[in-house]
Formats: sequence, structure tokens, C-alpha cells
Amino acid sequence: MTLATVARSVAARAGNVWALPTLPLLGGGAATAVWGRRRAALQTVPAVNTLSSPSAALSETKRPAHDTADTFDALPPSVTLPLSTGPLSVGTAATGGTQQMNLFTAVNDALRIALETDESAVVFGEDVAFGGVFRCTQHLRDAFGPDRVFNTPLCEQGIAGFGIGLAASGVTAVAEIQFADYSLPAYDQLANEAAKFRYRSGGAYSAGLTVRMPCGAVGHGGLYHSQSPEALFCATPGLKVVMPRDPVRAKGLLLASIRDANPVIFMEPKALYRASVAPTPVEDYELPLGVAETVVPGRDVTLVGWGAQVHVLVAAAARAAAEDDISAEVLDLQTLCPWDVDAVVASVKRTGRLVVSHEAPLSGGLGGEVAATVAADAFLSLEAPVKRVCGWDTPFPLAHEKYYVPNVERCLEAIKDVVAF
Amino acid sequence: MSKIFMFDALRAATDEEMAKDPTVCVIGEDVGHYGGSYKVTKDLHSKYGDLRVLDTPIAENSFTGMAIGAAITGLRPIVEGMNMSFLLLAFNQISNNAGMLRYTSGGNFTLPLVIRGPGGVGRQLGAEHSQRLEAYFQAIPGLKIVACSTPYNAKGLLKSAIRDNNPVVFFEHVLLYNLQEEIPQEEYFLPLNKVEFVRKGKDITILTYSRMRHHVIQALPALLKEGYDPEVIDLISLKPLDIDSISISVKKTHKVLIVEECMKTAGIGAELIAQINEYLFDELDAPVVRLSSQDIPTPYNGSLEQATVIQPSQIVDSVKSIITSVKAIIT
Repeated sequence: MTLATVARSVAARAGNVWALPTLPLLGGGAATAVWGRRRAALQTVPAVNTLSSPSAALSETKRPAHDTADTFDALPPSVTLPLSTGPLSVGTAATGGTQQMNLFTAVNDALRIALETDESAVVFGEDVAFGGVFRCTQHLRDAFGPDRVFNTPLCEQGIAGFGIGLAASGVTAVAEIQFADYSLPAYDQLANEAAKFRYRSGGAYSAGLTVRMPCGAVGHGGLYHSQSPEALFCATPGLKVVMPRDPVRAKGLLLASIRDANPVIFMEPKALYRASVAPTPVEDYELPLGVAETVVPGRDVTLVGWGAQVHVLVAAAARAAAEDDISAEVLDLQTLCPWDVDAVVASVKRTGRLVVSHEAPLSGGLGGEVAATVAADAFLSLEAPVKRVCGWDTPFPLAHEKYYVPNVERCLEAIKDVVAF
Repeated sequence: MSKIFMFDALRAATDEEMAKDPTVCVIGEDVGHYGGSYKVTKDLHSKYGDLRVLDTPIAENSFTGMAIGAAITGLRPIVEGMNMSFLLLAFNQISNNAGMLRYTSGGNFTLPLVIRGPGGVGRQLGAEHSQRLEAYFQAIPGLKIVACSTPYNAKGLLKSAIRDNNPVVFFEHVLLYNLQEEIPQEEYFLPLNKVEFVRKGKDITILTYSRMRHHVIQALPALLKEGYDPEVIDLISLKPLDIDSISISVKKTHKVLIVEECMKTAGIGAELIAQINEYLFDELDAPVVRLSSQDIPTPYNGSLEQATVIQPSQIVDSVKSIITSVKAIIT
């Protein structure tokens, strides 16, 4: 796949009479690679792609250190996701089953599938060529070539601007910003250009790029390697914002984001890149955007979070059950903009209490938006004020990180407060 | 007392502070020779010269960074964004530098910086010139945020902002520069962290700021005629929110309406409602209602643009609806 081919494809898409070029799938599969994001979702991927069959994948991807043959043999036949719209089963035996993956392996797998199924897809960013500082883009350049997986200079504004231009010309652009903290120089491009393209062109153009960025606390990131700026992007109409909590969600949500025709900010909790390991479907699958998931069902209080914080809430829920016999329901929003208002409101109407938790600072954070909306839509159901357990209104500290992040103890205290109100 | 335009009040504040303190300076596009695109720095260049009223290239990221550097090395710069929307290009400077340098230097640096400029929806300025950035800056630790709305509070607040040793983001509004008001001749300062009580009342607390304050005031005659008695509060301080003063009002009226120009999702109203519900849960007789701009880029078309911001008639309808619904529950 060369730049010339891309250019020809762009011309074809623009209305040229040339037929769309067709290429065989890498690995010798029989299916034809098709053009564009939307068609990728429609095409049939062979049940067992040679690159994603378990044995081939094992030799390709880096297995987590603690993975053993025993664990591999005992993988469940499929994964059922308790989405608010109904349970969804993926990774059944018919579609290749599951493979132990961590978050960066799952992201890598999603990128590989995106590059395979959409001949216009390109992946670019700082250091992506050698595999990326978090290994998310490993082996992709070898498989797909330097015209489809390439480095950019150290210029986030340029990465975003270039991606927007590519996307507006019909290319499936998947940009990487090395840390979410660095997305701020690109903020004008994302807020003023990407978010507004379709609106101000009256629908003639859209800038449906995907911008991936590692976010969140990691134990030693300090001020500029730990931020979670989701509130800034959620407050900009025209952008979608997604944050997965584990490899299964990461792969499905990333494929859905790449194939979505809107600009999507895909935030990956960096602490989970290696720490979150799960049997992940090897097939090409998408999870719906805008749909939350009930991680733990409960009766007494609703806990809402996203990304790594969901795991903190699950731990706090377990402690609340053990110590005070409180049954807490944990919801993972997954998509932060547009977020699943119906699922959260329905849950609060049942439980009557809500705690929202996020790492980002309290003031102006997304917790405020969730609290405000629930306070309006479920006002008569609330038995207690909505509590927000968040990072403090200071820059993200280095030495004092453990006092900053909303840990299990702080979440547990909030749960007890709202139940006792 | 003398009658003065808003832009003149801001100019007078800047002039007075520059005369008193030689470290106060203005940096921005067209602030010097041209006198400012909204005349806020008119004639200051001839009075104070090139270096204290500095014309910059069209490079917001660079001159904001420069101002931050100047602030930590002893000057008191006022950065003018020709339109606040353009300061998105300087977002990294404002967030990762201005907001953080005092913290990261362990208190060794202070940042007596004012970042001011017109924001808000104007008359057909288009999406990129009609931004309301208060919602985004609200999420940044280390900044104070203030929104002026009248010549009187503009002058007092700007003087306080210039004297404050922290970075202050000072929001003005494109459509309010020609407001006229009588202001005192003598020097006065207004606190950066307190609300302004526009009208005392007992039926409902209306929280608003900037241009929407005037839309609320335009809605008052219709409400008063029908016997409603709203209490109107101009937030002034968007970060930190003056929740103490707001609490006094809510404990009296038990109903709250927020009228804001920023967009609904994750706006100022969201944070305000979260805090009101958290601290005043038992005082509320009805859900807090927020009237905000639509979650869309601002249209260029005039009628569509008008439809995206809250108009006085919507405020009247909302007040009536809230008070009627509470009466229905109580009776």
C-alpha cells in the first residue's frame, strides 16, 4: 500500500471514474480489503484470520509475564458484556475464541485489524514507528509499511491538524498523542477545527479522525504525565470521548471509535496497559459508543466511574459490602461524551444514591455534569446529595500523588456518607 | 460620579494601575499603536511607550508564554486576547504553565498575570469567534476566573485582578463594551471571589453572569408584573464559586435557576448544580434548572445564532414553570 495508491483512492472517492483498487488481505485471506470506515464495518472478516489465530498471535504479541500455559488452556469460550442496552457476547468459539491480552496488546490488535480492513487507515504520532512508548503500535510498521505507520515531529498541534486534514480528505486517520497532558497544544485544532468541521461545512466535510492518548495516574507521572483532561473534550460539542477499563473494552471501543464518522478522543488509562489482563476476543468486534456497562449490580447506591477508577470503585463496593452490608452498583460509562444518561438515571431511580468518582480535579470535572444531570432527571428519587470523589483542585503532584488520587478509602467514605445521610 | 463606557472603565483601570506601578504592562495584538480592537488600551501606548504596551505578532501561544515568563521574573503583565477564542491556541501555556508554575516551583515563583479579552456570542461572528471558554478554564487548577458585566464591576474587578498575585482569567463580553453607567470618581476595588447581588427577592434565586445578567434584567418587568419576586445574583467569580453567598440566598428561596451563556454540557452550571446539591440538598424544593446555550458550534446565521443563546422570554417561562411546579407540590 503506497502513498500513490492512497492518492488514487482519494481521487476515486472524490468522484473520479477509476474503480476502487482492491488488495488481498495480508496473510493470504480470501476477503477483499474495502475502502473507508463505514464499509469496513459491513464487510465479512474470515472467521480465523491467519494473523489472529491463537497460535500465530502468540508468537506475534508479547504475552503478559504471568501468563502460563495453564491459564491459556482455561480461557472461557466467550466474553459476555453487561451493556445497559442488553448483554453482548463476543469471542465465541466460532469466531476464534479469546486470547489473553493486556491493554496495550488489545489496542495493538485493534489497530492491526483497522489497518487490515480499511486500506485508507493510517496510524501516526510521535515514536509510533518503533512500536510506541507503550508498545501499542508494535509490529504495525513491519506489517503495513512506512506509508501507513509513520512518525511525526514533536508537534501535537501539527499531529492534530494533519490528522484533521487527512480525515477530511477521506482517509481513516488514527493519531497518537504520546500523553494526554500533551494534547493541550492540539486543543485549538481539536476544539476549533475537528469539532466544527461538519457543522460549519454544512455537512460537506467531516473530520472523523481518532486521537488516541494515554491518560491518568501511573504512580510516578507527576504533573505532565498523569493528567486526565476528559472534561475539556467533553465540553466541546462535536467531539466524542471514550475511555475503556480493560483490554476487552479497549479493543471493541477502539474499533468502534476508528470506524465512527465523528472525531473521537480515545483515552487509554496508562496504568492499565500492563496491569489489566483479560481473555480478549481475537475476532474483529465493536462495542457500541454511548452505552454504559453495569460492572457490579447493586441496590443501595450507584457508583459511576470510568477508566482505571472503575476498578477502585469495584474494590470500594466490595469493602462496603463486607464492612457495612451495603450493596453498591458500579457503572462504567465507557463513553464520556455522549454519556449514557438513561442508564445512570435508571440506576439512581432504583438506588436513590449516587457517588461519582474520577481522577481529574473536582472543579469543572465531568463528575459535575453527571451530578447536575442526575439531580435534574432523578431529583425526586435522590435520598442524599450526589457525592463526587475526585482529584483535588491542584496540579497533579509527584511526591503527594497518593494523597491526590481518589483511592478506595475516600470512595468508601463517600459511600458510607450517602447511605447514612 | 461620571458616566462611562465599559471599554473606557477597563481602560481607566489599566491606566491607573500602570501609572502607580511601573511593572504593570500590556501585551497583545493591536494593543499599542492601534489602541486595542475594542479600544480598551486607547492612548496608553502614547503614554507608556512600546515596551509597556507591547504589540505582538499573531502568535497567542508565544506571547502568552512570554507573559508567563515575564510574570515569574518580576513584571505584572496583562495579556489581551483579541477574542478569548484565540486563547485556545495558548491553552497549554495557560494550563500547564500559568496554572502550575507556582506549584511546581514550590512557591518560589508567583504569577501576577491577568489574561483578559472579549468572549461570548456576538453578532454573527461565527463559530470560532463566539467561544465561551469559561467552562474549559474552570477545569484547570491554579487559575482564578472572573467575569465582569457592567462598567462599575469591570473597573473594580480589573484593578483587583491586576493587584492579585495569581493568574486571573478575566472574561469580558463582545456585546457589552458599549454599556454606559455612572461610576465613582474615586478609586475603588472589588473582591475577585464574591458575587454581586443585583436584586434582592424571595421567590427564586437566579444565578447568572456576564451578558446573561442583562437578559435576566430584561426579563424582570414581565415577572414583576405577574407578582414574582426573584433574587438575582451575578456570579462574578466563576472560579472559585462563592458558594457561601449563594447558600444564603438558596436558604431563603429554596429554588434556583441558572442562566448562563456557556454551553450546557460540562459548563459552569454543571459545577454550580453539583455544589448546590451537595451542600444545600435539604434546602431545595425543586431541581436546580440551568438555562444554557445549545451544545453546538455557534451558527453564523443571525436567527440561528439568536436561537442558541437564552433569550429573556425563556427566562420568564422558566421562572414561572419552576415556581408553579413547586406550588403544585406544596399545595
